[in-house]
Amino acid sequence: MPTDHRPLSGRAAAQQRIAARRAAESAARQAAERRHRQLVGAVVTAVLLVVAVVVVVAVQSSRTSTAADAATPAGTTGGYAFAVGQADAPVTVQLYEDYQCPNCKAFEDAAGSTLEQLVAAGTVRVEYHGMAFLDTSGNDRYSTRALNAAAVVASTAGTDALERFHDLLYANQPAEGGSGLTDEQLVSYAQQAGATGATVSRQITDLTYGDWVAGATEQASKDGVTGTPTVFVDGERLGDLSAAGVTAAVTAAQAG
Amino acid sequence: MPVQRPSPSLLPWAATAARLLLGVVFLVAGALKVPDPAAAERAVRAYQLLPEALVPLAAFGLPVLEVAVGLALLVGVAVRAAALGAAVLLVVYLAAIVSAWARGLQIDCGCFSSGGTVAQGQTAYPWDVARDLALLAVAAALARWPRSRLALGGRDLPTAAPTRTETSRAH
Repeated sequence: MPTDHRPLSGRAAAQQRIAARRAAESAARQAAERRHRQLVGAVVTAVLLVVAVVVVVAVQSSRTSTAADAATPAGTTGGYAFAVGQADAPVTVQLYEDYQCPNCKAFEDAAGSTLEQLVAAGTVRVEYHGMAFLDTSGNDRYSTRALNAAAVVASTAGTDALERFHDLLYANQPAEGGSGLTDEQLVSYAQQAGATGATVSRQITDLTYGDWVAGATEQASKDGVTGTPTVFVDGERLGDLSAAGVTAAVTAAQAG
Repeated sequence: MPVQRPSPSLLPWAATAARLLLGVVFLVAGALKVPDPAAAERAVRAYQLLPEALVPLAAFGLPVLEVAVGLALLVGVAVRAAALGAAVLLVVYLAAIVSAWARGLQIDCGCFSSGGTVAQGQTAYPWDVARDLALLAVAAALARWPRSRLALGGRDLPTAAPTRTETSRAH
């Protein structure tokens, strides 16, 4: 009997070679099929990803686009700002603030009265640009409600009333992470600032300018504002947010 | 059939840990950007790198990729491709963060939050860069050794050989 160690007959060797070749062909075929499956999988995944991106971009874009018929307050400057001071004042200060932002309160405490003196002297015209990005469920979207209320006050009672309302809200700013002021408190401060009547109360409670607030926040972001408070003195970003810093920048802008 | 080389028993488990870590990070980072699309746009805009027309694509498209990569890594399908995708995303983010840092922008990276806004002196660039570099190293290692335990996909799963002792230990 031939054993495994003896040379194979020509026929057996040929059969073995054929079997080996078949095995190799089968392996190659399987590898090719696997590559094909991987390629198909990759293409399908890529197409699904592109579709997912397109769908999500479309959905999210529709969520951020404000309604074309969004209510806009009266008396704005450039659509999203309220200006205080003489129109021919030599220096313009643009102020980007969020009513919930503690650093904005710190800036108001430090430099607010200086700015008001400069406005009263006819040197400066202040543009209040509101932002609302500190909404939380905890404060019941206080940033948005406060800026809406400010728009209501400015729209119904003018920008001088807005300035008073603005100062009242910073003087009584709720703690960040707290529950925010209630609509009733906002209405009460609006009345103190000089905006009275049922319309004011209703527009504050109904968030009449809610879409406009979203638009204002969007516009500030497009203006290159990445945080609050951001202050521009004649277009130059102010680095030193102290009273002395404001005075120096205004003086420099006046001289230039 | 190609013979599977025996691998050190710990490597697939390390790959599983890497998958879970990266998967959770990307899934969470992506998901957090979905609820407030306007904030996501502001976070992208804050970098001042993209023209306005491309801001929505980056703000809304990148989270989709993050979620896709995160899900693939968590369940363990197309692990190598997902790890490479994670690495590419991290390189892009690192470049953006370093560029913002170099330009002296006062921004939050917007990695896990709405981003954009940060008070002066409150930036966290060193931490952001260190974290992303560490994640990049994990992603690169996972792309090099993608075989792992507890993965749904992959034809070379060690668990496909139930007679091996390390496999029986895994159960």
